[in-house]
Amino acid sequence: MKIRQLKAFCAASAIALIAASGPAAAGPGDDTLRAAMTEEILNLDYNYTTKREYIILAQLTDATLFDLDPVSQEYRPAIATGYEWIDDLTLDLTLRDDVQFHDGTVLTPDDVAYTYNWIADQRSESNANGVVSRWLDEAVVTGPNTVRFKLKSVYPLVLRDMANRVMLRKSGTYGEGDGINRDAMANSLIATGPYKVKSFEPGTELVLERNEAFFGKKPEIKTIVVRNIPDIGTQQAELMSGGIDWMFKVPLDLAESLGATPMATHLSGPDLRVGFMVLDAAGHTDPDGPLTNVLVRRAINHALNTPDMAKHLIGGSAEPIHAACHPAQFGCDQSVTRYEYDPEKAKALLAEAGYPDGFPLEVWAYRDKAASEAIAADLTAVGIDLNLRYVKLESLNQARAAREIPAYFGTWGSGGTADTAAIARIHFDIDSDRNMSGDTALADLVLSAEQTADQEKRKAIYSEALGVIADQAYWAPLFSYSANYLVSPNLDFPLDPDGMPRLQNATWK
Amino acid sequence: MTDTDITLTTVELDRTTTLSPGQIFRRRMFGHTGFLIGAGLILIIAVVAILAPVLAPHDPFAQSLADRMLPPVWSEGGRWDHILGTDQNGRDYLSRLIYGTRVSITIGIGAATVGLIIGVTLGVIAGYFGGWIDHGISFLLTAQLALPGLLLAMALVFIIGPSIWVVIGIVGVLHWTYYLVVTRAATQRFRSLDFVAAAVAAGASPRQIIWYEIMPNLMSSIIVIFTFELGIAILAESSLSFLGVGIQPPTPSWGLMIAEGKQAMFYRPWLVILPGICLFLLVIGANLMGDGLRDITSPEGRNE
Amino acid sequence: MLRYIFLRGCLAILVAFTVSLAAFLLLNVASDPAQAIAGEDATADVVETIRARYGLDRPLTVRYFDWLGGVLQGDFGESYYWHKPVAALVADRLDETLTLALSALAVTIVIAIPLGALAALNPNSWIDRFALGVAVSAQAVPNFWLGLIMIIVFAVMIPIFPVSGDSTWRHFVLPAFVLGSSSVPAVMRLTRTGLIEVMGADYIRTARSKGFRGWQLLRRHALRNAILPVISVLAVQLGQKFGGSVITESIFAINGLGRLALESILGADIPTVQMLIFVFAIVFVAMNLLADILNAAIDPRIRIG
Repeated sequence: MKIRQLKAFCAASAIALIAASGPAAAGPGDDTLRAAMTEEILNLDYNYTTKREYIILAQLTDATLFDLDPVSQEYRPAIATGYEWIDDLTLDLTLRDDVQFHDGTVLTPDDVAYTYNWIADQRSESNANGVVSRWLDEAVVTGPNTVRFKLKSVYPLVLRDMANRVMLRKSGTYGEGDGINRDAMANSLIATGPYKVKSFEPGTELVLERNEAFFGKKPEIKTIVVRNIPDIGTQQAELMSGGIDWMFKVPLDLAESLGATPMATHLSGPDLRVGFMVLDAAGHTDPDGPLTNVLVRRAINHALNTPDMAKHLIGGSAEPIHAACHPAQFGCDQSVTRYEYDPEKAKALLAEAGYPDGFPLEVWAYRDKAASEAIAADLTAVGIDLNLRYVKLESLNQARAAREIPAYFGTWGSGGTADTAAIARIHFDIDSDRNMSGDTALADLVLSAEQTADQEKRKAIYSEALGVIADQAYWAPLFSYSANYLVSPNLDFPLDPDGMPRLQNATWK
Repeated sequence: MTDTDITLTTVELDRTTTLSPGQIFRRRMFGHTGFLIGAGLILIIAVVAILAPVLAPHDPFAQSLADRMLPPVWSEGGRWDHILGTDQNGRDYLSRLIYGTRVSITIGIGAATVGLIIGVTLGVIAGYFGGWIDHGISFLLTAQLALPGLLLAMALVFIIGPSIWVVIGIVGVLHWTYYLVVTRAATQRFRSLDFVAAAVAAGASPRQIIWYEIMPNLMSSIIVIFTFELGIAILAESSLSFLGVGIQPPTPSWGLMIAEGKQAMFYRPWLVILPGICLFLLVIGANLMGDGLRDITSPEGRNE
Repeated sequence: MLRYIFLRGCLAILVAFTVSLAAFLLLNVASDPAQAIAGEDATADVVETIRARYGLDRPLTVRYFDWLGGVLQGDFGESYYWHKPVAALVADRLDETLTLALSALAVTIVIAIPLGALAALNPNSWIDRFALGVAVSAQAVPNFWLGLIMIIVFAVMIPIFPVSGDSTWRHFVLPAFVLGSSSVPAVMRLTRTGLIEVMGADYIRTARSKGFRGWQLLRRHALRNAILPVISVLAVQLGQKFGGSVITESIFAINGLGRLALESILGADIPTVQMLIFVFAIVFVAMNLLADILNAAIDPRIRIG
């Protein structure tokens, strides 16, 4: 073991040596945190983006009406100091009067109402439009620091959307009529967050500087530089030479190897993302196919060695899961039926279902190749004639939308929301192509939870729904993910239980 | 298997041609070091492919997640039950490399055959008829050479679904130009020769002339090209698999194995090095054999 | 001659359009740009919104002719990802690819021509066999694998060169070697055959009888005549270097056209793919045209047209 570590260290120092001629070292010296991202950053306006990298950046540049406490999962006041439900469909907010945009103008209730009405307007073509237009009828200014939101229907997750989906913009930002410019904030962002944009070169580098006029708790580190380094190997070399201080989404093997050296610290935190198999119980691909038989679906559940996958392939805090949600999510009842790993039982169930010699099955997957292959191997081991289709995400989505997929290995990050609602609706709504159960009663149940404001009742509804999913084995739940980071040894980077990296909370040791 | 087939045909073919008697041919063959090395390599790899179930110590698909990424036996932490270590799913690397020969050889032969059919057909037609047909085929040739194979592969794999046959088809469709260029030029030359003119005068149809007069004379060059294309097709498959649009996991393809090992290559370089060496040996075998066959079948001996 | 060049020029443009149409159709079949832009956890309505925003909900034919109309006015459209004109994007990245392609060509020349010449001067000697061995091996090495091995050996085990990137000349050494080595066999063999042929020609025998020997003979007489076919094959190889840059640039993280091509193919950035394929096709055909013209110039017997 020692020799192995030494070898790793030698390799590591070798890479560091050659990379040392690179740009000036990052770190506490110039109070600059340099973060690397694989995904290219091309648009700074989270109202027009979706990907996770953009959420991380939006937390730096934008402030929202509410803040989510990652530990207690409660919504704390931010730009809104308080709220009051007048009735089920009317929400009044009181706003702070000391919030400034990055250009010095003071935020007014007009700006808030404008932003929400714009996003809810179909012409905005905002990525948030679908979510917001579902519940928002209209936002109106009711006083010098009050805004009233009129809802279309009961929607218990209003505060969540206010906390993480809609970023506030100055009134009139996106233009009007022929002058509509949806890219207005894409390259030069004027927002209200703890950091402001100093310079931005799309796809290359983003420089953020602490917003000294920020109304909330100011971050400790003055400058954050986000560099796009598409190759994880290059990121690794840069980290060891001090060119960057922070990288995320690090493959487990790399994180462990490099974390064993003194040049980097490996942090592994929880992640709200879960992995699961969805099975075509409704028979979209074959009305009388084997997957329509609950015994076969249970057999598949028993055949998968999820504890080993979680431990060896995902690593860190990853755990096998049993319900169709992340255990940390509100309403994710853990008392559902469990199918332990038992290949013999799986074979027996297949025989009982009338498939003693297995059957051909096509399983689609788009990420975590090793885990996909492990699933394939486990199912082959119980006699299923498995054909793994490892494709790009777009291909999988296209084929799923056409109802051509009998089973797939999917994952869901719930947008960092620790609530079963963030995973249940999209996967069990009757109109969703992700829902292959064909169970309308279940769909109604999930929908009714979203229209229930009473938290205890909502929890009970989710318990019932998750119980049905487990009993019917509509899914084969696999494991929760872990988030692996490599950071420079002098950086203190706190990890939150929701798995969302918050660079604004980083400090120097 | 492969090389005996080809040699047999060549020998038979050689007897029928007037250029050199079989004895001279055989003497040349055994006197050509490059050819012997190449044929030997191909023979060994072919035997490994056929005897894979006997030779492989493990099932190439059997995974053991707890034993993943074991190093080869000569490294610290290596074990004798996995001589060349294991991959990221704890599968025996030696067994996967052994079964990989099957994938590479099947695709090599299959794709080179598909390319042969397309290339020779178009080449003979272009060379025989000339004119607008020739221009049209030249245009097709240029357009094909300018289109990135990756794109074509991606689209076809998506439309048809991945299987070894689709990969054979894709690689074949991407590699017919060499056949075309050579057969077109040769056909043009033959067309002006006496024996073709005689056949035309005797009232033979173009189909008859192509089949009975021209094709037999093309055989030896086609066989030489086929041998080269074997190597090229194997490399093409490995590149496509490396980029993720060729052979799909968990089938053991060497290109795919390199792609899977790439992530960990700084710390576990054998995952990348070993399949590359296998590819190199197989392709160099095909190339040496091709070089040798060309020298042997050409009248002047070694002549590039 | 001029008419010939003109016709071939037209052919080049026709090929470029055909190929870009093929690319457009293939890419639209194989992937969904809206989904690629939206990312992993996007819901269906987000994808639909994006589809509408980029005009991807219009029929294929409308979109293609829209693009074609733009191209005829010199506008290649805007990248879905980069939010800027594709032409600017390509111009930005051209430097790196040109540097890589030319330095790869330099590597080919430096290795292949001396080796081929030495082999031709001493046929069937050990150096001839060595040269043949180099050619056969270079042909058999998978290019992407050679790249990885170069990184393992010369960037990690013996750290002389950087792992990846494109900021200094040192970053280009390994990729240029990898990309250049793939052309070595063809160029070397051609140099050797050409020289052997020329050396057998009458005027060389005359020169030899005048007392010219070895390098002097090679330099003053033989090489000059053997070099033109080599140059024409180099032109073809340079054209292929652009295509070959896709894998090499990706492995060494060089921000050039090849990597842009791979990323936009995988990310379904259709306007970018179309322009790149257009450019690649034109470069490819142009280089082949150059080679043909050179060949015609060398050998007046080859009638062209």
